Amino acid sequence: MNDVLDVALRLLIVFVVFLTFPLIVGQTEHKVMAHMQGRLGPMYAGGFHGWAQLVADGVKFAQKEDVVPAGADRRVFQLAPAVALLPYLLVLLALPIGPGEGAVGQVLDAGVFFVLAVMGVGVLGSLMAGWASANKFSLLGGLRTAAQLLAYELPMLLTAASVAMAAGTVSLVGILDAFEWWWLPWQIVGAIVFFVAGLAELQRPPFDMPVADSEIIFGAYTEYTGLRFALFLLAEYAGIVVLCGLTTVLFLGGWHGPWGADGLGWVWTLLKTAVLAFIVIWLRVTHPRLREDQLQKLSWTLLVPLALAQIALTGVVKVVIS
Amino acid sequence: MTLAAAVGTVAHATTTTLTTAAEARGFLSPTGVEIAFLLVGLVTFGAAVVTVTTRQLVHAALWLVVALGGLAVEYLLLTAEFIAWVQVLIYVGSVVVLLLFGLMLTRAPIGRSPDADSGNRRVALAVAVTAAVALVWVVVDAFRTTWIDLDGTPAGSTDVTGASLFQHWVLPFEALSVLLLAALVGAIVLSRRANTAAAAREAEARERGAGATHGTPHGTPHGAPAESAPEPASGPSPEPARAPTARRRDAEGNR
Amino acid sequence: MSPLPGFPGSGLAKGLAVTLRTMTKKSVTAQYPDTQPALAPRTRGVIGLFEENCTVCMLCARECPDWCIYIDSHKETVPAATPGGRDRSRNVLDRFAIDFSLCMYCGICIEVCPFDALFWSPEFEYAETDIRELTHERDKLREWMWTVPAPPALDPAAEEPKELAAARKTADKLAAAQAAAQPDPQPGPQADPKGEDS
Repeated sequence: MNDVLDVALRLLIVFVVFLTFPLIVGQTEHKVMAHMQGRLGPMYAGGFHGWAQLVADGVKFAQKEDVVPAGADRRVFQLAPAVALLPYLLVLLALPIGPGEGAVGQVLDAGVFFVLAVMGVGVLGSLMAGWASANKFSLLGGLRTAAQLLAYELPMLLTAASVAMAAGTVSLVGILDAFEWWWLPWQIVGAIVFFVAGLAELQRPPFDMPVADSEIIFGAYTEYTGLRFALFLLAEYAGIVVLCGLTTVLFLGGWHGPWGADGLGWVWTLLKTAVLAFIVIWLRVTHPRLREDQLQKLSWTLLVPLALAQIALTGVVKVVIS
Repeated sequence: MTLAAAVGTVAHATTTTLTTAAEARGFLSPTGVEIAFLLVGLVTFGAAVVTVTTRQLVHAALWLVVALGGLAVEYLLLTAEFIAWVQVLIYVGSVVVLLLFGLMLTRAPIGRSPDADSGNRRVALAVAVTAAVALVWVVVDAFRTTWIDLDGTPAGSTDVTGASLFQHWVLPFEALSVLLLAALVGAIVLSRRANTAAAAREAEARERGAGATHGTPHGTPHGAPAESAPEPASGPSPEPARAPTARRRDAEGNR
Repeated sequence: MSPLPGFPGSGLAKGLAVTLRTMTKKSVTAQYPDTQPALAPRTRGVIGLFEENCTVCMLCARECPDWCIYIDSHKETVPAATPGGRDRSRNVLDRFAIDFSLCMYCGICIEVCPFDALFWSPEFEYAETDIRELTHERDKLREWMWTVPAPPALDPAAEEPKELAAARKTADKLAAAQAAAQPDPQPGPQADPKGEDS
């Protein structure tokens, strides 16, 4: 009974985090982006600096009619948002937030693989949406999504493998247990490659060609309205949370910190994740969208070689110190 | 390609299902895990059958996702966690995405596409059934007395898998990777020969210049490389060429 | 990546610095319904009507490029001011309306009005929920007249405005006449109506 309660509690916490953190990131994006552009952003909803703007947006989305285009493949079209969203929920389960086994939804033996695999599945949602919409722009968006995933999954995997090599385990908890501060400079190239590739996989600007509104309207999500559209947006922001959390855990030491790592480890994790989320927003505001061919070139001629170099470096250092 | 893959999946599914039946010493002493295993096996089998029988191309690919995911769950139930996640990563995450990409790039009509049906269904069925029977027979015969203890230490954890892969099976593993490398080189050679001399010269010039490799290498792994690699002339530089190899190695590692 | 001088990626870093700097500065957004905007005196908000000056000459209605001004009037006979004089007819304005759903704020009506009956007002909060209610009648236009700001002051060295010059000349003449009539008060009443005429 106690076990059941424990599991239920963990699931509940993960679910609550899944529902709130993306909204917090979204609201931060509203405000940070506004101020970076010399604006104020939402100011009215909720009274204090528009804190309830996303809640209001949610209410608006819930009120809208759920339209399925006449020529669309109905079932696939309706299923796509769930396929896009659920993987991120599953990933959150595996991210350790503090030291020990009590601070992770579910300890997984092959955590790195689980997380990357499930994140890759999330892209299937975009593909399904792009194809099922019966809209050429959606199809183009789906194609771009697929091309982007194929190009950027590889550097992500390679750099994650580099960390796994350094730690000698593929378990996220194990990686954190093995973390030392000097991993930071050692794996810095891998960290950057991982983060950039993750951004591309999430289709965040400057890698948002699959939803490039000035070229293909909104890519795979063009035909979506109401709650299903909101689910796609939620998936994007949940993706940011997951990517930042994952980068924190893999490269920035998660709950390790200069002090207080034992009791307040989770604060460190949250802090690092928040800083990374800020960087995600910052990059979005600052840099214009790449062209589709530049995107591919960046991956295959820069990120993949860098990732391989990182693996080589990791291997050499590992052999030297052992 | 879809057909072949799906047939393979069907075979796979039936095999795994039957393996359990053989494993379960008392046939009628089902534990929770065994029931779940059988149910998931049925779902996987059904998805695989739908994959090869549906007349909608993209639906076939999506059902393939279900079948492959079902297999991953089966691995999970057999405590082979590592294999399960690699299955999801490689097959669901990459191969099916590649498949869908190819479908969308060529044609992916919504609704039925009767012209995609093959004329020799009977032959295909015969081959599939033969392959399935052969596989089932071999596997059942080989593993009839094998017993996986689900409650003890996981027999398929990353540690165990890695150890067995790189200690007992390292030779076949490396041989496989050489085979894949050969396939990769072959694909590059083939796609180069297809071009005329002029195109080759142009490609050479491009290589000397900027070395533009955009859009090149992701066509190489798995199945028909010629269609999905539109202009492979400029040839992946060593790094990208190495990269698909690595991925395929992973892919093969769990077969 | 970027072929800028300096280390690779310095352009990217520069861009990040720009956005970060902007974020730390105070934003310039005016929260409109809470704080009213400070408008320039010659803002083209809406057109106000000073009825007393209108002679129903219809120039504005005719010049309006999209025919958004509606004027109704009738003629009225003014009895002769002096016995034996001729009756005069005068135009009386019945309706003056501007359809602001058509108006394109070109200001030609204001330019063309020979009697200074139309003015730009900076007032801009006259949105309606029904497009038909955007045809504003003379009472509304008259209300807007009171929001018209005083005309900007002339340059110190500028020529005196014509009307002021005329008024001053009359006043001067009057003063001179009064000064002349001081010993003899008879010509005074003769000079007065003359001064009021001009």
